[in-house]
Amino acid sequence: MSENKIIACKTHEVAPGQQKIVQLDRFSVGVFNVDGEFHALLNVCPHKGAALCEGPVCGTTAATDGRDFTYCKDKALVRCAWHGWEFDIKSGEFLVDPSIKAKTFAVSVEGEDVVVHL
Amino acid sequence: MIIDVDCHNYWSSAEVLLPYMDPFFKDYFIRGEQPGPRGAFPHAHRPWLHPEGFKRADINPVSEDDNYAIMKAKHLDHYGIDYAILTGDEALEASTLANPYYAAALVRAYNDYQVEEWLPRDDRLVGSIVIAPQDPQLAAQEIRRLGQNPRMVQVLASHGASRPYGDPFYHPIYEACAEMGLPFAIHLGGQGGINSNPIGAGPTTFFWETHAILPQSAMTHVASMIAQGVFEKWPQLYFVVIECGVAWVPSVLWRLDANYKALRKETPWLKRLPSEYFKDHIRFTTQPLERPDNLQHLWSLLEAMDGKNTLMYASDYPHWDYDDLNSLHIPPEWRQNILGDNAMQVFKRLQALDAAKKAA
Ligand code: FES
Repeated sequence: MSENKIIACKTHEVAPGQQKIVQLDRFSVGVFNVDGEFHALLNVCPHKGAALCEGPVCGTTAATDGRDFTYCKDKALVRCAWHGWEFDIKSGEFLVDPSIKAKTFAVSVEGEDVVVHL
Repeated sequence: MIIDVDCHNYWSSAEVLLPYMDPFFKDYFIRGEQPGPRGAFPHAHRPWLHPEGFKRADINPVSEDDNYAIMKAKHLDHYGIDYAILTGDEALEASTLANPYYAAALVRAYNDYQVEEWLPRDDRLVGSIVIAPQDPQLAAQEIRRLGQNPRMVQVLASHGASRPYGDPFYHPIYEACAEMGLPFAIHLGGQGGINSNPIGAGPTTFFWETHAILPQSAMTHVASMIAQGVFEKWPQLYFVVIECGVAWVPSVLWRLDANYKALRKETPWLKRLPSEYFKDHIRFTTQPLERPDNLQHLWSLLEAMDGKNTLMYASDYPHWDYDDLNSLHIPPEWRQNILGDNAMQVFKRLQALDAAKKAA
């Protein structure tokens, strides 16, 4: 874990299912609250470089062998603002091809502070 | 020089058109049945709905002023665009209506709104005369009505149509385009209503599936424009195909040439190979540019259609499949042509506007 730890915001500033975009050093970073857990993604999409974290936080359909539409990952993925590629907020993985990843940063909560480890 | 040939100007509500409508059709619009909430634009909607909406999620204008301010900041200024050709948005869907008089009233109102409320905002913006092609005579009237405006650089129809665009039924439109010196462009859209199903084998089911095979009707229009001799009748006419993909073009041209060689007697008015008409008269826009894993595969195809000279840059701002100017995957030595020079050639009025700008 890198030594460069920066306070990104206060915990109460990002409600569950929401994101907040902050500038940390020279990085634009999206801080997300997924079910009370904080995560951080670099605000740059691995597809074409859009402001990934400005997209909606939402869910999607679970893969199936049948014809059922099971809503899953509710508020645990972000759809890129531009072309809608879906990224798992926790892992940064692109759902269609997990070898493509949005850059994630480790996050710790220290008291009221959400701290991002750049 | 950077020219974006497909830049969508939204409206906050179709009611912005009301001040530009005749009382009779205004009444239609206000009191008639509508396909959506108050302010919805009257059209016979396509059967496919985009599950996330068409707009980029980072672009959320709430007012007319906002529409422009965001376009300026996130697109025009950001990429240093010299000219952007406005392609409207829902206005194109007027082509789906059975009532050609109402359709004509709607596009007339849209065109006036565009001239009055968009063009004065920024001298980088130029307009399209949107037509409702279901009545080619009314469409031709509209082209002549606005055709003298130096900032209107093309005539624009939806690619969804009642019949292939080369059909002599539509020739009054090209007559008017030729008279005004304007290219005729078609843009993806106008599916549904009175227009033919754009999907040859019957309706597809999902939006992404449908969008991926959107070239189908463009293929039909390209073949028809060439076969029906449109470019023999109007030798100065350019036909611009917007947002219909491009990698399919060589395949269709190869087939057209091969078949013509065997059966030229069907169309005695043609003097050259289909691919030669294409090179001189038809232009395609990049967005959405196909992206194979091996870029070389794409580049070979683009080369086969002389892409350096037949492609023009389009962003499709602010739609969900927007192409970023800086990550356009074309051969670097073609950039100058595709980003601006080819469009200068096709949109003759830009040459005049640019000369005037430089002189000023
Ligand atoms: S830039 Fe993010 S999905 Fe394309």
